[in-house]
Amino acid sequence: MDPCTHEWSICNVRHGYLVEEFCFECGGRRSLFSIEPVPPTEEYREGRHYWAYLASCQTVKFDLKCEACGRIVSLNDVNGLMLSECIDSTCQVGALVSQQGPGSLVYVAICPNTTHSTGKCVSSEGIEALNEYFKAKLAPVGRKVTVVPCKLCNSIDKCRGTSIADVGLTDIQ
Amino acid sequence: MKVSELVEKTGLKAINEYKDSEVESVYISDMVSDLIASAKANCLVITLQTHKSLIAAANLVAAAMIVIVNGRKPSEDVVALANRTGIGLFSYDQDSWTFAKQLVKLGFE
Repeated sequence: MDPCTHEWSICNVRHGYLVEEFCFECGGRRSLFSIEPVPPTEEYREGRHYWAYLASCQTVKFDLKCEACGRIVSLNDVNGLMLSECIDSTCQVGALVSQQGPGSLVYVAICPNTTHSTGKCVSSEGIEALNEYFKAKLAPVGRKVTVVPCKLCNSIDKCRGTSIADVGLTDIQ
Repeated sequence: MKVSELVEKTGLKAINEYKDSEVESVYISDMVSDLIASAKANCLVITLQTHKSLIAAANLVAAAMIVIVNGRKPSEDVVALANRTGIGLFSYDQDSWTFAKQLVKLGFE
């Protein structure tokens, strides 16, 4: 058991683009983070996949550092956060959303490959650190959030929620 | 400074019912992802965004209030989400800079 009661703060802030790609061969979707001045839009082959650009948006990535013990938790495998408004009771995230009380919300941490074909999602230590960070930040104002990995969603592509991304922000003007 | 005092001194128009919490800092941004990495707890967010994504981000940083400038109004679903989070939403008729100057005069640095 970790003896430190961590005091997380944000570190290693990176500004860039979240680029979403689609594979013509397998129909898969994935996203990558680019720090290029202009987001890459080229199509390319990678093994049996042929990836094509779908969309991009400006975003910020960061890691968490414990001010008490100096430990840094990489959040490189978090490509975004989505406030879940899932109402599907057969979905683990939807069930969790329905259990929340006033002032308590559920956010989904989205990994780069939401098909989870490789079996990977956001690391458990990343999820734990994010929950501890937001708990410490929000408890004094009486709010609470629970962060869960996107592998708990029945289908992240069909999930009802609000992604925190700088895309489509003027669509409803 | 309390939210209610700020409202009274700057002529903000309240969009929803707000919690009269203490405002400790100010952050100006129209990038919602930037808010998460940079805004501090109990801050006042100045923006021209009215998207739901703004509330989702402001909630994570424990923002006390959001001031939407240039007289823009959020849609009902945005206000409903703000109500769930307890974040006060306010409208200001002029631009970000004009509001920022008012805040400086009130002692925010």
